Amino acid sequence: MAGEKSEILQGTLDLMVLKTLETMGPLHGYGVARRIEQISEDALQINQGTIYASLVRLTQRGWISGAWGTSDNNRKAKFYSITRAGRKQLNTEAQNWERISNVIGRVLGTAERG
Amino acid sequence: MFAWIKALSSRALAWLSPRHVDQEFEQELDAHLDMLTDENVRRGMAPEEARRAARVRLGGHTQLRETNRELQGLPMLETFFQDTRYALRMLRKNPGFTAVAVLTLALGIGANTAIFSIVYAVLLKPLPFTNPDQLFTAFQANTQLGIAETGCSYPNFEEWRSQNHVFSELAGIVAHQLTLTGRGEPSVVNTSVVTPELFALLDVKPLAGRIFFPQDGKQDAAPVVLVSEDLWRGRFGADPKIIGTSIDLDKRPFTVIGIIPAAFRTPFFNTKQEVWIPLVEDPVFSTFMPKRGVHLLPALGRLKAGISVAQAQAEMDAISGRLAGEFPAENSGWTVRLVPLQKEIVGEVRTELLVLLGAVGLVLLIACANIANLLLSRATSRSKEIAVRTALGAGRVRIIRQLLSETAVLGLLGGTVGIALSYWGVQALSSLLPSSLPQMNPIRVDYFVLGFALLLSAIAGVAFGLVPAMFAANADIQNTLREGPRSGESRNRRRARGFLAVAEISLAMVLLVTAGLLLRSFARLTSVSPGFDAQHIVKADISLPQFQYSTPQQWAAFSEELLARIQSDPGLQDSAVVVPRPIVDLNVNLPFDIVGNPPSSEGASRTASYVSVSPDYFRVMGIPLLAGRVFHQHDVSSAPRVSIISEAMARLYFPNQNPLGKQITFGYPRGSGGATREIIGIVGDVRDVALGQDPGAIMYVPFAQAPFWGANLVVKSALSTSSVAAAIRQEVQKIDKDLPVTDVAMMSDVIQASVAAPRFRMFLLGLFAVMALVLAATGIFGVISYSVSRRTNEIGIRVALGASRHTILRMILRETLLLTFAGLAVGLPSALAASHLLGHMLFNVSANDPATLAAVAFVLAAVAALAGYIPARRAMRVDPMVALRYE
Repeated sequence: MAGEKSEILQGTLDLMVLKTLETMGPLHGYGVARRIEQISEDALQINQGTIYASLVRLTQRGWISGAWGTSDNNRKAKFYSITRAGRKQLNTEAQNWERISNVIGRVLGTAERG
Repeated sequence: MFAWIKALSSRALAWLSPRHVDQEFEQELDAHLDMLTDENVRRGMAPEEARRAARVRLGGHTQLRETNRELQGLPMLETFFQDTRYALRMLRKNPGFTAVAVLTLALGIGANTAIFSIVYAVLLKPLPFTNPDQLFTAFQANTQLGIAETGCSYPNFEEWRSQNHVFSELAGIVAHQLTLTGRGEPSVVNTSVVTPELFALLDVKPLAGRIFFPQDGKQDAAPVVLVSEDLWRGRFGADPKIIGTSIDLDKRPFTVIGIIPAAFRTPFFNTKQEVWIPLVEDPVFSTFMPKRGVHLLPALGRLKAGISVAQAQAEMDAISGRLAGEFPAENSGWTVRLVPLQKEIVGEVRTELLVLLGAVGLVLLIACANIANLLLSRATSRSKEIAVRTALGAGRVRIIRQLLSETAVLGLLGGTVGIALSYWGVQALSSLLPSSLPQMNPIRVDYFVLGFALLLSAIAGVAFGLVPAMFAANADIQNTLREGPRSGESRNRRRARGFLAVAEISLAMVLLVTAGLLLRSFARLTSVSPGFDAQHIVKADISLPQFQYSTPQQWAAFSEELLARIQSDPGLQDSAVVVPRPIVDLNVNLPFDIVGNPPSSEGASRTASYVSVSPDYFRVMGIPLLAGRVFHQHDVSSAPRVSIISEAMARLYFPNQNPLGKQITFGYPRGSGGATREIIGIVGDVRDVALGQDPGAIMYVPFAQAPFWGANLVVKSALSTSSVAAAIRQEVQKIDKDLPVTDVAMMSDVIQASVAAPRFRMFLLGLFAVMALVLAATGIFGVISYSVSRRTNEIGIRVALGASRHTILRMILRETLLLTFAGLAVGLPSALAASHLLGHMLFNVSANDPATLAAVAFVLAAVAALAGYIPARRAMRVDPMVALRYE
């Protein structure tokens, strides 16, 4: 039932989550959401809850793993960290992303010139 | 790929512990909310407001939880289970509907599975030999003589075998019966006479001992025999030391060298073979071995790997061309025909089985149409439920899926009961199967057939479910919800129901017409006069062991003595010897020439059935003498050679002449200088080959002048078969205690058995037609009663406005007959098309026999009218007050 648009978004979000976990190390859902908001300078307005769907998907595929721990202010939270398979996947995906965005950039550029 | 599998297994794990998944997710969300709230508080919000803002930021709690559940479980599977559970509940809630639908479907699936098990075993399943698609039969054909398919001569077979490069092996095979004596009662055994290569060619592993070696086929080899497992277990009590001992066949000792497993089927022969001997040892066929002109031995070959049929045919053509040049007298005009073994074994049965399969398929179609109709009417009464579901947010696809789950469950239930029925059906069928049906593979419900049945029930489930489901999903919610389910059904839906009823009637018509034609054909076939009086005639066979009774003089003397003894018994005076008997024995067709007439050209050869009879034969069988005289005691071998011909032969070969006194010459093989005989009488025609075949030209010769190595007796007696058999046995044993008397039966029974195949067809198609008729009738009944119940309100108004009961009755009956006639109109051309497929299965009945068509149309219309009359009467009794208050 997922439309095409949301699927692209879904993949994009998954990629961002992976990248965040790679740079930041283990983080809980709240931390991931905050980090993405900060980086995107609040250009990406999402319900923070949406991040959990992404975390479930990535866990199921074995790209991240989660474990319960204690946060800075002593709250019990589930911390996610990227796995080796996840790093590999991130690498591939990032290259893909680069290539696609290049292509799209070129196409849009030509269209403007023509 | 790997990640995908991981995801699925993780989902499956989560699905197994949904509560745990939920709890963990709740904790995570709680932690998140707390952290958000903390931050908001740090930014200076009041705690209450901070909490609220955090909730907004996180998103709808319920929605998040639902998404999580969907992600963490197996939603497809869950929906499936949910639908199935719901379907079962719905079916349980409507036991009447469920019972009718399951039973209807079970009958359809059961009948289809049973018939398919035959089709599969006979037509589809590979023959039970190694690489069966390499097996071909090699026949000889001669278009000039009009011979499409016959065996080859042994000398030709040897040349084929040594000269060809396309077959890895060739073997020749014929069969007949020999007398088995010693070790218990003398009996007659089905004997395959083969060249030694047969078993190696078919890759047969003996149960014990060995198969034939090439040296067993040499001229001076010691006689050896292979026995079947059944014979070994039955007659020889599974004697473990049988290998190496000897048994007597036609009074000659053969050494048993091996036991052939019971599962082995000898190609070409439907009857179970009991012993196999090398061709060179056979008392009858070995005498033909040196004769190049005697075409008796069908050959079986295994193509070498990588050789195509075309290559093989080209090679065999070349060889037969060479042989024709080398031996023009015996081989000119003779060619080789290669036929795949399976095709040769199946023969004409193929069309007959496909007709049966088609017919039983139609029954299933009608059953599906019936259930679809039931579902349509139920869907109408369930429209409110569907409307509520749609209003609550169920999509079209979701609704269709749920309804299809219901019909799929129904389909599987019906299929399961049907499969159970089919086991029983196959058992019932196997006792009815005509012996002409080749059974190389056992007929049973095996895994393949089971798979077919399950597939069929799944397809049926979707087939009868899809249309109603789509109608249901398209329903107009607003109107349904506003007016309730009792409002009139949509026009489209009514049209669909009408269409289904019409389809049922037309399909039923196809089946009824074909069944009617077969019935009529069978009635004609069994009422046709065979040309003799089969009542009270007992037949019995006495075969003389070849190695003991080896000369024609011995044969003649034996039968003379036997007849004299039997006829001296007061109950058995009317007895005669005849080889071969009409219909029950294979006929022998011989070419002949008429002395004084120019010899027939090769293209138009004169042939007639050759029958050797004792003098009383015509009287015993009630065959009328039309001119001249019958044979008498003085027509012995020393007397002038005489012959009696049948009316058909006189008409065919002596047009506008008196055949009496003319002389004919025949012998086998042709041109070998056979005897010349004077025609001394003309007798009435006899159907010599089969009841369904017109009487052919027959020439009779005195048994004393042309004896065979046995006596095929016919005895007309008022006594019972068993006492006749006992009397004959007693007389035979007085002459020779080792002679078995076999195949004792009433002639009329044997003739009945000869039409087993058409009877089987007629019975099955008749059964299917009755099923179709009942289904179509219930279909019409359902449609009309439903229509009446829908229209109760309208009928009430009509009655209130002054319509008489008869007007109402007429109105409902008109609706019924309209459907019926539409069905007949569609059914007629379809039935005609189908009946032409019957082709040769019809005897003396035209495929568009008007009487059958009219009778079927009448029966269908009458049954339909009756089916419509019952609800129509109910309509007639509608009380306007009740009807109007009904809503």
